[in-house]
Amino acid sequence: MNIRTIMSAVLLAAAGSTTAAVKVGQPAPDFTGIDSNGQQQTLRDYRGKFVVLEWTNHDCPYVRKHYEAGNMQAQQREAANAGAVWLSVISSAPGQQGHVDPSKANELTQSRDAMPHAVVLDPKGDIGRSYGARTTPHMYIIDPDGTLVYQGGIDSITSANPTDIPNARQHVRIALNELLSGAPVSQAVTRPYGCSVKY
Amino acid sequence: MVATGTAFAADSVRTPHVTLQLESERPSITPGETLWLGLHFALEPHWHVYWRNPGDSGEAPKVNWQLPEGWQAGEIHWPVPQRIPVGSLVNYGYEDHVTLLVPIQVPSTVPTTDTVHIGADMTWLVCRELCIPERGSLDLTLGISQTPVDATPAVASRFDKARGQWPVTLDKVANYQATDSITLKFSNLEWLPYQIDDVWFAANAWGPIAPSGKQTWQLDNGDLLITAPPGDLPPSGDDTLHGLLVVSERIGSERITRGFEIAANPAEIMVNAPDMTFLLALVFAFAGGLLLNLMPCVLPVLAIKALGLVTHTDDQRARHGFTFLAGVLLTFATLAGLLIALRAGGDALGWGFQLQQPLVVIGLMYLMLAVALNLSGVYQIGGRLAGFGQSAASQSGLRGTFATGVLAVVVASPCTAPFMGGALGFALTRPPYESLAVFIALGTGFALPVLLLSIFPAWARFLPAPGAWMETLRNALAFPMYGAAAWLLWVLSQQVDATGLALSLTGALLLAFALWWLGQTGNATRTNRIAVTIGLLLSVALATQAGRQDDAAVTILEAEQWSRERVADLRADGQPVFVNFTAAWCITCKVNEQVALSTDAVRAAFSARDITYLKADWTRQDPNITRELQRYGRSGVPLYLLYPANGGEPQVLPQLLTEGLVLAAIDQTSPQEYER
Repeated sequence: MNIRTIMSAVLLAAAGSTTAAVKVGQPAPDFTGIDSNGQQQTLRDYRGKFVVLEWTNHDCPYVRKHYEAGNMQAQQREAANAGAVWLSVISSAPGQQGHVDPSKANELTQSRDAMPHAVVLDPKGDIGRSYGARTTPHMYIIDPDGTLVYQGGIDSITSANPTDIPNARQHVRIALNELLSGAPVSQAVTRPYGCSVKY
Repeated sequence: MVATGTAFAADSVRTPHVTLQLESERPSITPGETLWLGLHFALEPHWHVYWRNPGDSGEAPKVNWQLPEGWQAGEIHWPVPQRIPVGSLVNYGYEDHVTLLVPIQVPSTVPTTDTVHIGADMTWLVCRELCIPERGSLDLTLGISQTPVDATPAVASRFDKARGQWPVTLDKVANYQATDSITLKFSNLEWLPYQIDDVWFAANAWGPIAPSGKQTWQLDNGDLLITAPPGDLPPSGDDTLHGLLVVSERIGSERITRGFEIAANPAEIMVNAPDMTFLLALVFAFAGGLLLNLMPCVLPVLAIKALGLVTHTDDQRARHGFTFLAGVLLTFATLAGLLIALRAGGDALGWGFQLQQPLVVIGLMYLMLAVALNLSGVYQIGGRLAGFGQSAASQSGLRGTFATGVLAVVVASPCTAPFMGGALGFALTRPPYESLAVFIALGTGFALPVLLLSIFPAWARFLPAPGAWMETLRNALAFPMYGAAAWLLWVLSQQVDATGLALSLTGALLLAFALWWLGQTGNATRTNRIAVTIGLLLSVALATQAGRQDDAAVTILEAEQWSRERVADLRADGQPVFVNFTAAWCITCKVNEQVALSTDAVRAAFSARDITYLKADWTRQDPNITRELQRYGRSGVPLYLLYPANGGEPQVLPQLLTEGLVLAAIDQTSPQEYER
């Protein structure tokens, strides 16, 4: 191994390490966060169940598109009924759009008739960064073994227009149904779209 | 104007952050033409709209065209976007103004009505930190004309400006390799501008690469290599990767950015580390600094210093060692700072810049001579008169030691240029703090031997006890200094004419005489002091006169400017070619040009063999020349290539040329080919 090869390896390693993202097929990063009810939410505790992670920001027009049309809540219900654990994660930093205190988070859940298993507050952005969450919404599905099996958008039409929802492929719903029926996920990585996560 | 009373070729909508205008290039429609429509976004400061791939977040503008039956709208033509960082994310988009152009194919038969309506239902996302999705409907009513009507100058200039911001499609072969990172490789780089400031790549669509990931680029053996972290969906083995290569070029203080549309095919790519990395430059500089201690112009000064240390107590010794280090580092840092500042001011200087000035060369020559005379015992250390300079090496105080550090760097500077070219050349292309670090490494290496001697007194004990041998050694060490002065005189002879040389030699004579007088009489009387001062002043005056004669009229062999294409053309014609890779600040190059390349015999040989003489001037950074140098394993000039007639590999001539050597090389190059 000459010096060039060694240095190439170092350079490549350095380049690789800058991508903080997770990969489908690999273990999902574990995390512990405090939810809007003051409870600890630890990913590892949900081994044996499918877990859906939803990055959210209630003031983001793309999030509002899916909540005002009832699309997000509907999928939360379906997931809950199927025994999956849906965690909404708010990574907005204090002072940034979408940052909420626990009571505001609960109020939003109530007023929007949402049904996540819990709303995890991540004001430091640690959980968001460990997943490389970039947009709201940005969706992830983790299988009962703790492996990441889906990452990407909530659906296929990248717009803020609610009338596009019926025409869009609902990536998360389809993936979850495929997973529950034991089939492989047909589109395991899709484009997340929306506002940037306000770290 | 053919437009009827109701025709209008522009329409606009206004939102709090955006004014959007839809405009037709031509005021009326001609059947069968391609009509260009422009969507002008005028944005509030700091707000942006997006490119077709918005990056980590965001959304590109969309148009839903309302066109008459049979009319076809083409794709949006996107100008080259900027990278817009949003926290830790990166978006691709536009701030301030952007014009998106769309071609509309008009059928050859159009309605017989007087006017035609064109509608655009637009949605776009405009963001600062917050994002606002907006929409608007725009309408144009255009008249119909059987012969094309030209755009008005104002409209034409808006459209031309927008076209000027389109990327250029690059049909050159590009390859990529997807491993842990995405590596892109571009060969045949004649399209790549000089003075590259920055290069980055954006995929046309979401997925292949992570927009926020740090990209690195390098020129390697005539290729451009870009490494980018992969996105969520890296390209698989056989996809073609479509995207935009954005290259920024610095011309003076201006920054010009250009985009190239590229399609890269998968291939195996070998990534080599760059020839010189920051770390490697530090190591080279440090090692070079160590070696400098052995230079004929430095060794005597340092040897005397080292001997001086023996007479100190251990405690003092260490203090002197570190003071010496401080003197060395401070001087190197000052020189580096000066050079960096001059370069920032736009001067194309390389290391060795100080020797481009005949005055500096004369000054250094005098200094060498003065030190040499002192070592020869012609005069003893005076007090104030000689100030620093040679006296510094022997003064016992810390101030003297510091001055020795300064003196050592100054006398070493003629030697640093030829020996440290690689590392220092690299340093100068880097950001200032890196340049400075390289110079500090050089200084540390340079000061190390004396520093070690001072810290580890045990080493000094290997020296014999002080005695008469010291005086003998001292006298002997004068000769390398005379040698250094002679070398500088030779350098000077390349810069000034015979009169200048005579003047500076007379100055040297006066200086020697003044110093001898000083030695004979001591520093006792005022008359003596005045006489010595006059002698010194006279020699300085002569030096300035000599230094002015720097426009020596030496006829240099006439040369054409080098380019790879020119070489290829000439070789295609079967012509022999001589290429001189040179730079104004490269002393060796200049000397070679005057001593070996401009003689009558060489000229005659060139013209007799019909050899075209090309000059590649590397005085300023030029990536094409750098690449060519790298092909021959060089990191700097000079490089001499002699391409034989009728093809074949070029002959690489040595770095130090003589007339005979050049003539021999010419003779060797296909002597039988010559028949004209």
